[in-house]
Amino acid sequence: MTFAGKILLVDDEAHIRKFVGLILKKIGTPTVLEAADGQAALAVYAQEKPDLVLLDVNMPILDGLQTLERLHQIAPEANVVMLTSLANRQTVEDCVRLGALAYIRKDTPRDELSTQLQQIIQEIFEPDAAAAPDNPAP
Amino acid sequence: MPVLEPSQVLGNPLKDRKILLVDDDRLNLRILAGILKPEGVKVAATHSGESAIEEYSRFHPDLVLLDVLMPGIDGLETCRRLKQIHGEACAPIIFITAKHESEDIVEGLEAGGVDYLSKPFRPKEALARIRIHLQNKVLLEEQGKLVDQLSRANAAKNRFLGMAAHDLRNPLVSIRGLTEFLSDGTVGQLTPDQLDLVSNIHDASQLMLTLVNELLDLAVIESGRPHLHPQPTSLEDLITTAVNLANMQSAKKGTTIRFTNGTTLPKIAIDADKVRQVIDNLLSNAVKFSPPQSTVSVGLEPEDGQVSVWVRDQGPGIPPEEHGKLFQDFGRTSVQPTGGEKSTGLGLAICKKLIEAHSGTISAANGPDGGCTFRFSLPLTP
Repeated sequence: MTFAGKILLVDDEAHIRKFVGLILKKIGTPTVLEAADGQAALAVYAQEKPDLVLLDVNMPILDGLQTLERLHQIAPEANVVMLTSLANRQTVEDCVRLGALAYIRKDTPRDELSTQLQQIIQEIFEPDAAAAPDNPAP
Repeated sequence: MPVLEPSQVLGNPLKDRKILLVDDDRLNLRILAGILKPEGVKVAATHSGESAIEEYSRFHPDLVLLDVLMPGIDGLETCRRLKQIHGEACAPIIFITAKHESEDIVEGLEAGGVDYLSKPFRPKEALARIRIHLQNKVLLEEQGKLVDQLSRANAAKNRFLGMAAHDLRNPLVSIRGLTEFLSDGTVGQLTPDQLDLVSNIHDASQLMLTLVNELLDLAVIESGRPHLHPQPTSLEDLITTAVNLANMQSAKKGTTIRFTNGTTLPKIAIDADKVRQVIDNLLSNAVKFSPPQSTVSVGLEPEDGQVSVWVRDQGPGIPPEEHGKLFQDFGRTSVQPTGGEKSTGLGLAICKKLIEAHSGTISAANGPDGGCTFRFSLPLTP
């Protein structure tokens, strides 16, 4: 899987999209697409086919879980990472059960958040490079 | 929800109250009924222990007057059975004894009776004693209701606190993060004055975020929801990550954090996020209270079925008389941060709760050459 550099950022709060968007730019993401709710996200996904979707959990209209479920119905191959504000285990477990690859907490300090996002992108798109010697790929 | 006023509780305690009379002597029953009925008491009478137990469940008395000597099961046994059946909710039981039967009195009180009345009855004494015990019963019931109301109010407060704190978090995260992008030149260079303003905004949002997080933690902890999710975790890795990140922060103050680890430990089952939170807190405190250009040392060592993590600062130490405050909610000591940092007074209180939730312990001790060492220990096997 190659990373063409297109990430869809879904969050109902504009300031969070601004903040996370700047991080994504800073780590070298060529294209950051935005959607403010789950329904809009599904529409953007269908049209743009981004490499990765960062999906907020608490949103109006369609919440993160519902969006994830519908997204995987129309595009089982979609790579989704949940964006959570509170490490709500039950929700995170539900997301993983529904096929999310990982989750990140929005309140993580910026530099750590940036590292986490880089690692996640690397693990999804270059799994061989990401595998450390003491942590061989299964 | 209105809280009952004491006057509502302490009106005439006899009126409309229900008293069950139990005596095989019908004359006694008539005398007692004659004393009580004019006071507005509702009376039911039975002639034996067995019938009293049945009648109790039908009548639901507020108080029981119980003869000791009766054919069939005696008053003492009746009392024990009533207590067994109705437990804490059982109405107060006053024994009726012949005069000078002091053995009966002692046994009666041991069986769970609250008082006794001697035959022949003196009406005023009988009424006074009955009134006191009815009053006590009402007070106990009201106290129970108050405790109930208070714990519900406290739960509501915690829910409110949790929700408010939760909704404040995201905007603060953005304010903090966006000021970082402003000051690092991502969107163009700022003048020194502009940088100073942005840095003030950043620090204020950071402090608020910390406070909001800590209030949220406290609300979650106090609401008693089970919140630990133990996973096999390498404490060494956890500390290494925390130290690396804290070093980025402490570099601003010229302070270095050194983690020396001599041992290799197996992974232990802990909630990594929660323990990381404790480590982060101890590291940030150590930097906060040490003078600039200090060295903070961190260690990890096994001891006796447990593993200890310690953080040693080069600050002034904690005055011995203030040690008690350290781990209390909002328990700020007189020791001041050395770089103008702020503290909420909640961090260590939360650390203590999180470590205790792991069946661990946390403590602080001043070193012989100054500085303070904070140490927490976790069991190797939960």
